[in-house]
Amino acid sequence: MEKLILPDIPHLRHIDVYEMRGGYQALKKALGMKPDDVIEEVKKSNLRGRGGACFPTGLKWSFMPKQTTKPKYLCANGDESEPGTFKDRAIFEFNPHLFIEGAIIAAYAMGVKTIYTYVRGEYAKWITLLQKAVDDAYAKNYLGENILGSSFSIELYSHKGAGAYICGEESALMNSLEGDRGYPRVKPPFPAQNGLWGCPTTINNIETLANVPIIINKGWEWYSQIGAPKHPGTLLYGISGHVNKPGIYELPTGVLLTDLIYKYAGGVLGNKKIKAVIPGGSSTMWLRGDEIDGVKMDAESLKAAGTAIGTGGVIVMDEDTDILKILTRITHFYHHESCGQCTPCREGCGWMEKILNRFLEGEGTMEDVDLLLDVANNIEGNTICALGDAAAWPVQSFIKKFRDEFERRAKKTPSMKKPVKPPHLVTLEV
Amino acid sequence: MAKITIDGKQLEVDNKLTIIQVALEHGIAIPHFCWHPRLSVAGNCRICLVEVEKFPKLVIACATQVTDGMVVKTNSPKVVNAREAVMEFLLINHPLDCPICDEAGECKLQDYAYKFSEGVSRFDFEKVRKPKRVELGPNVMLDVERCIMCSRCVRFCDEIAKKPQLVFIQRADHVELTTFPGENLDHPYSMNTIDLCPVGALTSRDFRFKARVWEMSSTDTVCPGCARGCNMKMWVRNNEVLRLTPRYNPEVNDYWMCDYGRLNTFKYVNAENRIKAPLIRKEGVLANQTDSGLVEVGWDEAIAKVASELKSFDEDEIAGLCSAFATNEDNYLFVKLMNMLGVKNIAFLQHLIEGDEDDILIRADKTPNNRGVREVGLTSSINGSGWEIILRRIDEGTIKALYVIDDDPGADPRVAETLARLDFFVVHASNENDTTKLADVVLSSSTYAEKHGTFTNFQGRVQRIRPAVTTAEQDRALDGFAMSRLDKFGAHNDRWMQGPKCDARPTWRILTCVANALGAKWKHNTVEDVFNEIAATTESFKGMSYMKLGLRGMLLKTKVEVVAAPIHA
Repeated sequence: MEKLILPDIPHLRHIDVYEMRGGYQALKKALGMKPDDVIEEVKKSNLRGRGGACFPTGLKWSFMPKQTTKPKYLCANGDESEPGTFKDRAIFEFNPHLFIEGAIIAAYAMGVKTIYTYVRGEYAKWITLLQKAVDDAYAKNYLGENILGSSFSIELYSHKGAGAYICGEESALMNSLEGDRGYPRVKPPFPAQNGLWGCPTTINNIETLANVPIIINKGWEWYSQIGAPKHPGTLLYGISGHVNKPGIYELPTGVLLTDLIYKYAGGVLGNKKIKAVIPGGSSTMWLRGDEIDGVKMDAESLKAAGTAIGTGGVIVMDEDTDILKILTRITHFYHHESCGQCTPCREGCGWMEKILNRFLEGEGTMEDVDLLLDVANNIEGNTICALGDAAAWPVQSFIKKFRDEFERRAKKTPSMKKPVKPPHLVTLEV
Repeated sequence: MAKITIDGKQLEVDNKLTIIQVALEHGIAIPHFCWHPRLSVAGNCRICLVEVEKFPKLVIACATQVTDGMVVKTNSPKVVNAREAVMEFLLINHPLDCPICDEAGECKLQDYAYKFSEGVSRFDFEKVRKPKRVELGPNVMLDVERCIMCSRCVRFCDEIAKKPQLVFIQRADHVELTTFPGENLDHPYSMNTIDLCPVGALTSRDFRFKARVWEMSSTDTVCPGCARGCNMKMWVRNNEVLRLTPRYNPEVNDYWMCDYGRLNTFKYVNAENRIKAPLIRKEGVLANQTDSGLVEVGWDEAIAKVASELKSFDEDEIAGLCSAFATNEDNYLFVKLMNMLGVKNIAFLQHLIEGDEDDILIRADKTPNNRGVREVGLTSSINGSGWEIILRRIDEGTIKALYVIDDDPGADPRVAETLARLDFFVVHASNENDTTKLADVVLSSSTYAEKHGTFTNFQGRVQRIRPAVTTAEQDRALDGFAMSRLDKFGAHNDRWMQGPKCDARPTWRILTCVANALGAKWKHNTVEDVFNEIAATTESFKGMSYMKLGLRGMLLKTKVEVVAAPIHA
C-alpha cells in the first residue's frame, strides 16, 4: 500500500522537494473550485477526524455559518498530548507542507481568513521545523495576501502550548489561545457558532488536515476506497511498548491489530506473550492479550470490540508487565492533567489514584476495587469535557478485564477497619 | 415559547431560558453552587445535573436551554445518584471544620450535605492540604481548603465589579484561588464575594468568629451610607449589630452592596460615644477635657426645658436644621413643628463627596434621605444658601436659637465658632460629636438601627427601615422585632440576652413630645401615623402605606429628576 501522508521521499519537508513531488497542486485545484464543492468533496470522501472522536470532517466544516459578519477561524490542533500518541510530530518533521496545504484548503472551503496552529509546548524542535515550513509557504505566496494570484488571502500563525494536556481539548485550546486559563467550555454553544473570541471556529487535528490535499488531488471516490469503508484512508499508527520495532506506521484503516504488532512492528520483545493492549492512546479501553485476534483497527471494529480507535496510539504490554502499575501511572497522568474546573474529574481522579496506589503498596482490598469502579462510574459522563471519561475508561475496562490482577494483589490479612479483639485479661491469683 | 414538563408539571415557558431558571421560577428547587442569576454560567459544580428524556447523558440544568417538548426529571434515581456522587466528591477534600466555620448555618455545602448526601464518606485517605488563612485583601479572608472552586467570586469581580483581581492557579485537586500577581482583592465591592461564596472559603475579616449565624436576628432594612439606599439585612446578637449583608432588590441594588456601606454604617450604633440619655447643660457644671459639661436628665425635664426656651424667642430669632440622615417622618414633623412656631429659617445640609461615585451603586451624596427632605416640605427653602444665611444671622445676632436634628454642622470649625454665639442650642443626636459639645440640650435620638421610618433614595424610591436594636423604651418580644433563636428561646439569664440599651427615642417621637409640650395636640402614637399623614398631605406620597411599601419600596409620584439607571446595563 502506498504511503500517502508520510511517503518515503527524502527531504520532503523542504518546500522545493514537496513542490517537485506534486505539492500544492491540490491547493491550486481547490482554488479553482467553489468552496462548497470542496466541502462536498471532503464530505463524500468520508474523511473522519484523526484526533480521537472520529467526527466526519466535511460535516464539521459544513456547520460553519455561510452568512456572518464575524471573522471565522480554523484551529489546527497539534497539542498531541495523549500518552502513546506521536503521529502529528512525524508530520511536522517529515511532511509539514502537506498539513499546511490541507489547512489552507480547509480555510478556503470555510471562508476562514486566519489559521492558528496550536502545537504542544514540549515539541520545541518540531515547532521550529513547522515554522520553517510556514515561512517558506509565505515566501512562495501559498500563505499571505491574494495567494497564488487569487482573491483569497490567508494567515497562519503557530502557537506554542505551555504544557497542559487539557489544552488539546478543543474548547480549552481556544481559551488558551485567547490567553485565558486552559479550561474547557460548556457546550453548547459549539465552536462553529461561538468559538475563538466568540466567532465561528472549526478545530481540526493536524493529521486530519494532512489528508485533505490527497482527497482533493485524487478525488473522493479514490480516497473512500482505502481501508474500512466507514472510516476510510490511511492512519498513522503509533506503536509503543514491548514490540521489536516501535514507531509510526502508515497503513490503511481496518488493518488487523495482530498484523500491526507482528507483521509491521516486528512482534513482541523476546517473543513473549501479550498480556494487554491499549489500542488508541491511553484513554481507550484495554484489551486482553487473548482477545486481540481478528480485531481490526478502525472506528467501527474497535467499537464492536468494546474500545475505540482514539488517536491510533497502540501500547503493547507483554506477559511480564506489571499492568496495575501501568494503570496507576495512567491514572496519575489524568489526575495531574485534570484542569480542576468541574467537580467529578477534579476530585475523582485524585481519589482513583490514591486507591490504586494503595494496591501497589499491598494495602488494597476487594472493597476498594468496588469503590474504584464506583468512583470511575461517577466521573464518567458527568463532566464538562471528555477528560473525565478519558480517566474513567481505562479504570473501568481494567477492572472488567483484569479483576484477577486486583484479587492476586489484594491484602490477605484482615482489614484495619475491622474491630480488633480486646486483649485477653489474665487474673492473677494471689 | 416552549411547552415543557418538569417532574410531571406541564409548563409553558420562554424558550430562551435554561432549565434551572424555569424550575426556580415555578418553585421547583434544583440545587446549585456555581450558578447565580446575575453571573455568567460556569457549569463547573455539576450538582444541578438533571435527566432529560431522549438525552443520552445527564445534563446540567444551568446551561441547558429549554426546548419544546422537553421532559425533565429532577429527582429520578439517576439524578439522585449523580447528586450524591457530586456531594461525595466535593466533600472528600473539604475540611470538616464546620464547628469553627463562620459559614455554618448558612452554608450551601452543609445544607446540601444534609439534604442530598448519604452522610457517610467512603474516602479514607489524607485530604489535600491547602493554606487556611490567606488575606486576599483588606476585607476578605480566604481559607483555600474550604473552596469548592465554583468561581462565583472570580466571575463577580470580572463581570459585576469589573475588577478582575481573582484567579485560579494549579490544576486538579490542587487548584487554589488567589489574586493576580501584584493585586489585592481591594475593590469597593469585594465583600460581595463573601455573600456569593457558597462555603466558608471567603469570610469577612470584620465579622470573622464574632457569632454563629443562628445566634443573630436578621432585620430587613436599608443602608444609610449614601443616596442609593441599598436594601440590606442587619444582623444583631445581644443587642449589638454584628454585620450587614445585602438584601435583593432588583430596582435598587440587585444582590449587592458596597464595602463602605457594609462596614461603616453600623459601628456607631454600638459605639462607646453613644448618647445614652437626654443631656442638659447646667450652671455650675464646668466643661473639661473628659466631660462636655452636660448632665444626664429625664425626658420630661429635657423636653420641658426645650419647650420653655423655644417659647422665650420670637419666631424670627429661631432657626431649624433638618437632616438628610433622618427619616421622612422625622423631617416632616420637624418642618411641621417649625411651621407651628412660625419659624421661616429652615435649611438642611448636603453631604456630597464629589467624584466618590460609580455606575454600579455608590453615589456622591452620602446621605440616605436627601430627596426625602426636599419632598416633605423643604422645597422652597432649599437653595443651598439657606444655611449660609442662617449662619450670617447668628453672627449678626438676629438669630439666637437653633434646633438641629440628627446632623453635625459643628464638624466644620468655622461653623462651630458661629454656633458658640447662640443663646439657645438644642440638638437631636445619637452620638457625641462636635455639635453636641456646643449644645445646651442634647436629646438622645435613636439611630436608624433602632427605629421604624422611611428614606427616599435618589431614584425617588421610598423604602422602609426597621428596628433591629432595642432602646430603653422598647422590648424585643413586644415591639415586633425580628427574632433570633436566642430571642425566642434563650433564658432570661442567658448571657447572650444581655446587652446595653440607650435611653434614646426616635426623632419623630421626641418632636411630638416637644410639640405637645408647646401646647399642640399631636396624636402620632406610631411612626406609621406620621407616614399616613404624609401620604394624605403630600402629593408625591399619595396612595402609599407601610403595608404597600413592603420590602421593595415604592416610587414617588413625581417626575423623577434623577433617572434611575439600571444597575447592570
